[in-house]
Amino acid sequence: MSAPTTTSTVLAASGVTMQFGGLRALNDVSFSLNEGEIIGLIGPNGAGKTTLFNCLTGLYTPTSGTVSFRGEPLPGDPALVTETGVARTFQNIRLFPSMTAEENVLVGRHVRMKQSPLSSLLHGPGFRRSEREARERAAELLEFVGLRRVTDELARNLPYGDQRRLEIARALATEPSVLLLDEPTAGMNAAETENTRQLILKIRETGISVVVIEHDTKFIFTLCDRVLVLVQGELLVEGTPDEVRGDPRVVEAYLGAPPEQVEAQIHEAQEAEEAADHGAPGEKQLGGSS
Amino acid sequence: MTATTEKKPPAHAAPRPKGIAALKPHTTTLMVVGGVLTLLGSFLPWATFVLNKGPYPAQATLQNFTAPLASSGFRLHLVLFGIAAIVVALVKRIPARHRIARALGYGTIAVSVINGLWITVEGGGLGAITASEGSVAFGAIVALIGGIVLALASRVGDLEPVPEIGWKFNRWVEWLILLVVIVLLLLLVAAVLTSGGFGATATYAGAVFLSFLAALGGFLGALHAAGLLGWVNALFDRHRGYAVILLLVAALCLPLTSAGTEYWMTVATNIGVYAATAIGLNIVVGLAGLLDLGYVAFLGIGAFVAANLSGAAASAVGIHLPFPLVMVIAAVIAGIFGAIVGSPTLRVRGDYLAIVTLAFGEIFVRSAQNNIGGLTGGSNAIPGIPPVEAFGIGFDQALRIGPVSLPRGVLYYFLIVLLVAFVMAVFANLKYSRLGRAWIAIREDEDAARAMGIRTGPVKILAFLIGAMLAGLAGAIFAHKTATVSYESFRFLESVTLLAAVVLGGMGTIPGAVLGASILFILPEKLREFADYRLLLFGIALVLIMRYRPQGLVPDAHRRAELVEEPEPIDTGGDKPTTREAVAP
Amino acid sequence: MSILMSQIVNGLILGSLIGLIALGYTMVYGIIQLINFAHGEVFMVGAYGAVGTATFVLPTAVTTQWWFLLPIMIVIGALVSMVVAILMERFAYRPLRNAPRLAPLITALGVSVALQEAVRVFYPEATAAIPFPSIFIPGALVLPIGDGVPIQYSGILIVVVALVLAFALNTFVEQTRLGRAMRATAQDRDVARLMGINPDRVIVLTFALGGALAGVAGVLYGNFYNFINIDMGFQNGIFAFTAAVLGGIGNIRGAVVGGLAIGLIKSLAGQYLPGGGAYDYVWIFVVLIAVLVFRPQGFFGETERVRA
Repeated sequence: MSAPTTTSTVLAASGVTMQFGGLRALNDVSFSLNEGEIIGLIGPNGAGKTTLFNCLTGLYTPTSGTVSFRGEPLPGDPALVTETGVARTFQNIRLFPSMTAEENVLVGRHVRMKQSPLSSLLHGPGFRRSEREARERAAELLEFVGLRRVTDELARNLPYGDQRRLEIARALATEPSVLLLDEPTAGMNAAETENTRQLILKIRETGISVVVIEHDTKFIFTLCDRVLVLVQGELLVEGTPDEVRGDPRVVEAYLGAPPEQVEAQIHEAQEAEEAADHGAPGEKQLGGSS
Repeated sequence: MTATTEKKPPAHAAPRPKGIAALKPHTTTLMVVGGVLTLLGSFLPWATFVLNKGPYPAQATLQNFTAPLASSGFRLHLVLFGIAAIVVALVKRIPARHRIARALGYGTIAVSVINGLWITVEGGGLGAITASEGSVAFGAIVALIGGIVLALASRVGDLEPVPEIGWKFNRWVEWLILLVVIVLLLLLVAAVLTSGGFGATATYAGAVFLSFLAALGGFLGALHAAGLLGWVNALFDRHRGYAVILLLVAALCLPLTSAGTEYWMTVATNIGVYAATAIGLNIVVGLAGLLDLGYVAFLGIGAFVAANLSGAAASAVGIHLPFPLVMVIAAVIAGIFGAIVGSPTLRVRGDYLAIVTLAFGEIFVRSAQNNIGGLTGGSNAIPGIPPVEAFGIGFDQALRIGPVSLPRGVLYYFLIVLLVAFVMAVFANLKYSRLGRAWIAIREDEDAARAMGIRTGPVKILAFLIGAMLAGLAGAIFAHKTATVSYESFRFLESVTLLAAVVLGGMGTIPGAVLGASILFILPEKLREFADYRLLLFGIALVLIMRYRPQGLVPDAHRRAELVEEPEPIDTGGDKPTTREAVAP
Repeated sequence: MSILMSQIVNGLILGSLIGLIALGYTMVYGIIQLINFAHGEVFMVGAYGAVGTATFVLPTAVTTQWWFLLPIMIVIGALVSMVVAILMERFAYRPLRNAPRLAPLITALGVSVALQEAVRVFYPEATAAIPFPSIFIPGALVLPIGDGVPIQYSGILIVVVALVLAFALNTFVEQTRLGRAMRATAQDRDVARLMGINPDRVIVLTFALGGALAGVAGVLYGNFYNFINIDMGFQNGIFAFTAAVLGGIGNIRGAVVGGLAIGLIKSLAGQYLPGGGAYDYVWIFVVLIAVLVFRPQGFFGETERVRA
């Protein structure tokens, strides 16, 4: 497959560093994503891939470095980032479990719908029009990812693969220019993985640029235009799938490193993330899913 | 399952069924026996002598001498249960027979235990329900055994799923059916309210009321099991607008029924005040998932604002504004405080937020107790709030329209019915809107909600603001209705009661909040014998509800799936958001 | 000057009591992340259990000697509270171990209401405050500052007992096998289970310890104020919770320091802030809100989260 020949940069990170206490989860990471491009992000467990996503989407504020969208710096708030046009999925699926598939997608429409509190209260003609449009769009998106048949199912009752695809539909509902997918094929069988590959290509055809985190290197190398290799928080190699596949550093650091070394890396990086995840004790959700 | 495909294993290889499972072939017999015993129990005497406080209702003592077959009250309920059980046992075409039998059995058990216990306690011992001084009264025991046998039969047989009834008729026929259902509902509500009477003359009001509730529970349970409730529900959904209007009209017609007395109008108005407040709280807790333990303060703020603007002699402000304006001001001020109380949600989540709201609630009570700014009257309260007036009629007056005379308090009742209807409309319209979905998303997973572009801070504060405004409206009516506003009406316990109403009824649903508020405020009226134990029972009830029915009486269609026991949900591949939160920057 | 000093003394005495109650909050939260609302009532029940025993069970000859009565009352108070706490855990909280978070919190509210009402209904004349017998040396030590600053001997008892018990608890948690099991369970219940620790047993132990401390606090409270009433649990429970948060919830030393801070705030605010004694509660709630909003990890909670 050939990358579309576009030059304009949609999303760019420059010198992003993320420090958790004494541990550096990301160190001076820079890359740029071009219009219509699919970039793969690979690396050992805990290399900082998800941390990078969190920095890109405003969930974390980088210790230093900037993230910009079409040349403008991205705001440091996930809600505003989404509004700007960068949407994401989560490594551990985070749908709204007690909402139906359709409602999940409708939540994704949140930023693209106009409803004042007053019109929500009165359910006037304007309100009904915007609801109808949102529902039509949701139906299109569910169709697009192949979930039309489960429109009224609760998200929590969907099979695993459907949940992953619903998360993608929900992210697409925000009308992003950039889609960040965190392990979209984790736990899928070969057929489902292939479906997902087709889906991502289809998404790119609609003009959306995609960044994918994945462990499945075969999946990445056959899907992406460019691949970034992140090891221990540093961007080790960047290039086309062929370049990356043949690079001895990748083979050593990622694919062929002695097991104990990889384990140590994993351990260290996980600790770093855990340190970050230790919120204030009150910051637990109430009555939510369990 | 073994790999063999044969449907029945050879008889000699089958293990002998153990315990009650051995009764399996005899479920029909069991059901008949249970039904007959229930019938028999209803015809036997229930008490060996006239109790000290007067004869037990439904001619429990003397019936078998004077009119062996004239059943009334709880005995009539048992007759119906017994007949129904026998019919269900013999007519095998009825779907979900075992499920229906279970509901009938539980109803029979509850009715016989309630009445039997009452007679035992009031009549002074087991002799009252067995044999004493030559008379025998095994009614309670026989009926109880009948109920147990019924329940056992349903346990032995396989419980069928609730059948779905797909009957569809011409639109006019369906409207007619709905009309009949709603009229029945109205009469039922009136009957529940007035059952056993009230006051000093109603000696056994508590027993009659509880027994009636139990019978109603069994009856509705049987209807539900047969799929009829689900069908009526579907009818409601098909004709929502029509049904809502009918319900509103029915509620306004309550004063025309047997409940149309001043006493019951007052009780119903109080229930309405708390129901409206509970629905407001339901926005905050049920939809947005933010636990508020100081919510009654907003009712209090609304009430104090109204009291101060009512021209009451004891109020510090001493101006008198027209009531509609007062309602708006009360709502706005309560809303402002709601936003203030809600603002910590920007930084605080979960349990800690509950504590913050509790602290705000306590600050309100303490300040009101100390007559802060001279606005609350402190321990003297603000007495002498004049009634609302419109068209020259004071709302505390009785009303006479042509031949129909309505009791005092009926105008406040109308007012509160309209308020509850308004609050319900607000809740329902918001729930199914962009804002409502944002609240539910926050409840489900706050970080994911933010990643969907929801600015969670303002959205959460809006939940507090709107909830508080609704409570403020209710407070304004409350102030005028009770004529005296004291800080004592807005203590922590009231907040807990409101929360309990929401939880008991079912979080996130409208009928739930109304039902919960009704139960929590009618029970104390009915069970005056237990006035001392009221709060004790209330506390224990909270614990039991959380343990055995956390989804409440009317579960939200969405949450039903979440809270009811069911097999492990599909693995979602790792930590759920509840156990570990990403740090908000 | 002597007014300030005596307010400080009052604050430290009340603060020690609150700290003692806060230990129960902090341990339970540390282990199962439950705000045990009913903990304040456990404290109240201990006081009533002890005074009930002294009034209705013990022979009069015994009750006249404080050195005999004091240890008996303290042990009985601790036992009563401990039993109540254990039953509460077993029958109210344990079935909800994996329920959504709202459920145990509402259950805790229910337990709190039920306990308070049970005492009101079943304890003779508990509808009003009842007198508590004096079980320690009466009178006061007068510090020669200004016009003289009196310190009740019963107050000194509170401070000493609270500090000794907190120290003992800290040692227990940090240095014994059971204490290590508690800390392990607090960190990760599943891992602790894999290590052969029975989390249920550890949780019961936590409730029992917290309950016993609250019972002791209840007896000391009655002895100091000479009266007890059924509201004492709710009020002091909230103060203790505030203290636990202030000190960093899950942190034993923090709970004691937080308790002292709350005691001082209450007595000094009642003396010097606008509104006076009528608003001292309000100030505590203001502190509570401020801490939860601006520093929810408390003042000892950040660097090392030594959970119970």
